[in-house]
Amino acid sequence: MTDPRGRRVAVVADSLLETLLDELAGGGFGIIQLPPAGLERATAAAWVEQAAEHVAEFRRNGYEVVLADDGLYGAGLAEALGALGVPPLPQYAIQPPSTSRLTPET
Amino acid sequence: MSKRVAFIAHCLLNQNAKVEGGAKRPGMWEPVIDLLRERGYTIRQMPCPELAFGGARRFWGVREQFDTPLYRRHCRRLARLVAAVIEQHASAGDDVVLIGVDSSPTMGVDFTPSAPHWSGRPDIGEDDSMLVRGDGIFVEELKAELAERGLPVPRSTGIRHWFADYDPDEELRRLEALLE
Repeated sequence: MTDPRGRRVAVVADSLLETLLDELAGGGFGIIQLPPAGLERATAAAWVEQAAEHVAEFRRNGYEVVLADDGLYGAGLAEALGALGVPPLPQYAIQPPSTSRLTPET
Repeated sequence: MSKRVAFIAHCLLNQNAKVEGGAKRPGMWEPVIDLLRERGYTIRQMPCPELAFGGARRFWGVREQFDTPLYRRHCRRLARLVAAVIEQHASAGDDVVLIGVDSSPTMGVDFTPSAPHWSGRPDIGEDDSMLVRGDGIFVEELKAELAERGLPVPRSTGIRHWFADYDPDEELRRLEALLE
């Protein structure tokens, strides 16, 4: 049985999801979406904690995991990962917009 | 202004959460994601109870194997988080839908796999489980949590890409009806 999973996971801030979806899909990433803004503090913390549990399981099994953070929950995620013995995630390098359309045709 | 919001099973946005052998795509199940974006839905990914509980190397399973008090407590813990976000959207007057996975003992909405005889050594050979009508364990716990909060159950359906007679056109029609 074939399984085409990319073994690449991006943890993505809710505010960045729509912007990055095409790019991440093209790169073969699966996504763990961080919670939206505006949640009660305890709910948000519990949500980040369960996201960290997902991340820890992927890291334990050798998956590549990166973070696309907007500053809202990144620190909390790092703390929750630390409690699970997982180092902070490398930042996902957001691709700059293509400049090819700015190149005049010759 | 009210929004349209889709709560989706974790693996629809992260195929890595599937049991080994269960992924259909490298990253996400685009037929659903693309449709939601076309229709202007905000995506809310739910946690994967099976990944968190059984791990990335878990065996395939059926409803009877997962239906334990401990697994239900685990699902309820996650369902409380999802329900809290649904409540936030409901309070704002948003239109909320739920999309599960109908081949899952956990995330099934209309169907869930059953095999009362599965147990012991994981060498079942041919998969002789049956898809039966009913919710997965997490979906049941989510409905119970929503009921406790006095919230209605969102309109819902399940993705059936692992059904033997999977019909993408039927699924598209069913999704379009849900998202209208």
